[in-house]
Amino acid sequence: MHAYLLSLIIFTPLLAALVALFIPARAGRYFRLVTLAASLIQLAILIIIFLQYQRGSGAIQLIEKQNWISLDLGSWGILKAEYFLGVDGLSLPLVALAVLVMLIATVSSWSIEKNVKGYFILFLILNCAIIGSFVALDFLLFYLFFEFMLLPMFFLIGIWGGPRREYASIKFFLYTLLGSILILIVMIGLYLSVNDPASSGQFVHSFNLVTMSDPTNFISFSVLDPNNPWSIGPLHARMWAFLLLFIGFGIKLPMVPLHTWLPDAHVEAPTPISVILAALLLKIGGYGLMRIAYPIFPEAAINFSWLVGLVGVVSIIYGALNAIASKDLKRLIAYSSVSHMGFVLLGLASLTTEGVAGSVYQMVSHGIISAMLFLLAGVLYDRTHDRLITNYSGLATKMKSYFAFVLIGFFASLGLPGFSGFIAEIMVFLGAFKSALLHESLAITATLGLVLGAGYYLWAIQRMFFGPFYFKGDATKILYDLTSREYLMLISLALITLGFGIYPQPLLDFINPFARHFAETVIATGQRLILTP
Amino acid sequence: MLMVFLLPLVSCVISFLLTDRYAWVITLTAPLLQLISMIGALIVFFSLSAEPYTLALPWFHIGEFIFSANLQINAVSAIMLVVVTVVSFLVHVYSTGYMAGDENNRRYFAMLGFFTFSMLGIVLADNLLLIFVFWELVGFSSYMLIGHWNQKPAAVNAARKAFIFNRIGDAGFLIGLMIIWANAGTFELRNLLLQTEVFSWQTSATLCIFCGVIGKSAQFPLFTWLPDAMEGPTPVSALIHAATMVAAGVFLLSRIFALYTPEALDVVALIGIITAVLSALSALVQTDIKKILAYSTISQLGLMVTAIGAGAADAAMLHLFTHAFFKACLFLSAGAVIHVLHQAQQQTHTHFDVQDIRNLGGLRKKLPATFFAFALSGSALAGIPFFSGFVSKDAIFTGLWNWATMGTSWRWIVVVSAFLVSFITVLYTFRLVWFMFMGEEKSTQALDVTEAPLVMRLPIIILAVASLWFIITINPVDFNGWLFQILHPGKYFHFNLMAAVSASWVLLALGTAHRMYRTGKNFNVKIFQRAFYLDFIYQLLFEKPVLALASFTDRIDRHWIDGVLHSGVYAQVTLAHIIGWFDKWIIDGSVNAVAATSNGLGSFTRSFQGGKIQLYIFWSIFGLIIFLIWMLL
Repeated sequence: MHAYLLSLIIFTPLLAALVALFIPARAGRYFRLVTLAASLIQLAILIIIFLQYQRGSGAIQLIEKQNWISLDLGSWGILKAEYFLGVDGLSLPLVALAVLVMLIATVSSWSIEKNVKGYFILFLILNCAIIGSFVALDFLLFYLFFEFMLLPMFFLIGIWGGPRREYASIKFFLYTLLGSILILIVMIGLYLSVNDPASSGQFVHSFNLVTMSDPTNFISFSVLDPNNPWSIGPLHARMWAFLLLFIGFGIKLPMVPLHTWLPDAHVEAPTPISVILAALLLKIGGYGLMRIAYPIFPEAAINFSWLVGLVGVVSIIYGALNAIASKDLKRLIAYSSVSHMGFVLLGLASLTTEGVAGSVYQMVSHGIISAMLFLLAGVLYDRTHDRLITNYSGLATKMKSYFAFVLIGFFASLGLPGFSGFIAEIMVFLGAFKSALLHESLAITATLGLVLGAGYYLWAIQRMFFGPFYFKGDATKILYDLTSREYLMLISLALITLGFGIYPQPLLDFINPFARHFAETVIATGQRLILTP
Repeated sequence: MLMVFLLPLVSCVISFLLTDRYAWVITLTAPLLQLISMIGALIVFFSLSAEPYTLALPWFHIGEFIFSANLQINAVSAIMLVVVTVVSFLVHVYSTGYMAGDENNRRYFAMLGFFTFSMLGIVLADNLLLIFVFWELVGFSSYMLIGHWNQKPAAVNAARKAFIFNRIGDAGFLIGLMIIWANAGTFELRNLLLQTEVFSWQTSATLCIFCGVIGKSAQFPLFTWLPDAMEGPTPVSALIHAATMVAAGVFLLSRIFALYTPEALDVVALIGIITAVLSALSALVQTDIKKILAYSTISQLGLMVTAIGAGAADAAMLHLFTHAFFKACLFLSAGAVIHVLHQAQQQTHTHFDVQDIRNLGGLRKKLPATFFAFALSGSALAGIPFFSGFVSKDAIFTGLWNWATMGTSWRWIVVVSAFLVSFITVLYTFRLVWFMFMGEEKSTQALDVTEAPLVMRLPIIILAVASLWFIITINPVDFNGWLFQILHPGKYFHFNLMAAVSASWVLLALGTAHRMYRTGKNFNVKIFQRAFYLDFIYQLLFEKPVLALASFTDRIDRHWIDGVLHSGVYAQVTLAHIIGWFDKWIIDGSVNAVAATSNGLGSFTRSFQGGKIQLYIFWSIFGLIIFLIWMLL
């Protein structure tokens, strides 16, 4: 049974989508139920996975490996792609996050009225693709899932989005596609350069990510072989490959200056899709860097750690500044995401145990907090269809429990101790400052982000919630307090972020072995490659 | 100990769980829980042994690094424990009267409980990171409590300002933490304080942590948030912005005193004395009761910080202890005056600013008990002999004197400034007393003013009694009493001459104050009134540039990055159009031309086969003729 757990968790939503295909479009209610059922089944599978998982080890577990594509190309060798799944301390927390956020997004999608059938089928496909990309350990398989996300996302924003949805969805699509192309280039390069060590005689070109992470598996004098003496322009091919991956995944993350798709996509997407975008899709950028770019090109990672760290700090400050300037609530939250994902880069660049653990912790924590923030923005949008901060005032008196959750969400996001964001950020700071690869000034500059973060959130609270009550716009729209469905979603997220903020150990138990192993291997392998090219 | 620590949190949770209908329950449970917590704290205090008691609690670990949540009780923290719980209990009791009828009572008591909990966290934590956690949490509860009346724009502004100023300091604190982490690899105070070697990084690390103190304890240049924070309810000002939270900085300094290098201490002393002087001068000309008290708090905190910089951490803690009680008393009695005047105003529908001392006067007749308490605690603040403030100030001066005799000449400037501050303290204290209680009644004449309810009066009286000398020592002119013995075990040599000098100095100041304010004249110096234009400078130097920068980055996003993107897309689309045109007219055109030619050719040849027999005969004869012509030629 346990051999197929990961496949099961990936393909349950796809199966559900198949079921949904046969439900007539007018039976709107059933689509929600099917989606909810799929999410609940995933949750159950997730619990079983947690029970099976050995926490102490940093190794990949629950491996599923099947031959998928095997093409004999004659003198070219054999093209071999595998159906290779597994989880470790990096992917398991993210899978758990994905299952949880998808469940919440499903509940949040209850209010979707337009073309319910199409919406939920796309939603289920998206679910499958996201979880798939977190557990795939074969580059081709990963890429497949990665690209597969794009399509449902494009339609979900483009059809169910706000007034500028078409612009936003095309922008999102183009940006991400550009990133995908860069990743594709590297993937082809790697495919040409890597030989499966199990092969005898003939070259077996493998997409296996674990194989790729071992520099001894590169074919001599192939493009990305660490020992080949050529360089393309000023840099070695492997450096280029790292940079391409960095940009490719950085677009997803997003990093400044490749982030402008995010505010538009977030603002225009319907609430549940904003939640998924912020909580999950951004994480795939960070995940890709940790799973692919860093282990495969460790010496380039060490070489460019200043760049990664710098881009991280720039994102932190730049995102925060833009959030201050935002007049639209969703835009503000979107930019705060840019700012917070900068911490992921900074922690990763440090290549210390604390920094990497903080990075992963930040991904999970930001997933939960940003989900909460977008739900909160959605609550207001549902009632008034108005997101302009300046159009509101004194909401605290009208919507008391809403205000309470806004306080929790905002303060969690600005890194108040007791919430998960604080633990993540403090670890990133400690790691980045201590790291031998990064200059101390980077971490010191990043603390500015904390001050600015307090600035934009408190200013937003002040403008929207305090003062005398006032709402500019349609007076017939009633500003009623949270419904029980909204309450349920928000309270569960609030409790999770509080729990991980007060007692981080349960989550760290998973992340720790991975972070330690990751930091040590990347540094060790990278340094060996730098010393003996 | 854990009970002392957690009961306020319980109180907070209870207030969250209660519904609005049962909000009154909280006014019973909250003070009760605080009372138990206070009794616990007193038990802890009196059962204190020489060895610090540590309660080991695990928190989390990353890799091989362990972060514990250990709690520790030592002499300093035990004293702080008592201060916090006692003042917190009295303020809770007082609040039941002061905040009666407030519709957000639940939130108020929840935050008050939460504040007490986090404050105790700072006091007890034995781990710098944990201290930082609670350090930020008190900032949060302070934000919530300052902004409690969130309909009032001034209160909301003040709350935000307080939080952001604290955050700026905390960013420095965080950098200090990073330096310590990178060099020492641990946050356990036990381990950090035990090391005997002095490392060069300690100067920068401790100065960065001092940034946090500057934010929290409202030191120069970040002190302007505290006067603004007076927009919050008065009991909050008493508890948080006078007695406990702002003193947390002083507490932290004395807790990690051993880490400070001499260079760092000099900076601490300088910042402290600058703060003390500037804010004392500002206090001299303010007209709002609470703002005068706020500036006075800053000034006293400045003195404590100076004392720590001078190496007299025990003296600073002593002053912190006495200051907590008399300043809380001053705030609470000021609050009582404000409260009763407000109520009287509401009955008669008159309107004037009850916090402006220029409107007040002669209240000693209508509010004798409040006057009595205010006078007692005011005397303690002024440092008049037989009051607690005199004794603790004496300790500070002795410490400063010893420090100055040991060092370079600039230290004497600090000592002289400290004396100046103590002189000004007397002036503004008696200005306040005079304007509020002495002389003739002004705007309050027509009002029917009665004393505040018992729940408010009782805490005031208790605190007023606690501003007498016996609270810290039996001998009123010797600070080396029972409390100082706990802080500084063993013998302590000092010259009692200082007490005499100090006493005559204060009496001289008292005479000056009497001469200056007897007539009820008000002096005003604009630069003091505006607190040296610090806020204006901040606006000019930070707020405006940040906002400008923010709109600039917004422009970058919208115009430049998106602009490049859009022009790229437009270029692409234009290119596509050109290619489309090329496709349509050149490629398709040539294909079409070929097609059209063959089409024309086809229809031409097709026209030969029209299906009419005459035509066929015609063409065959025509062909025959051409054939014949060709053959014949």
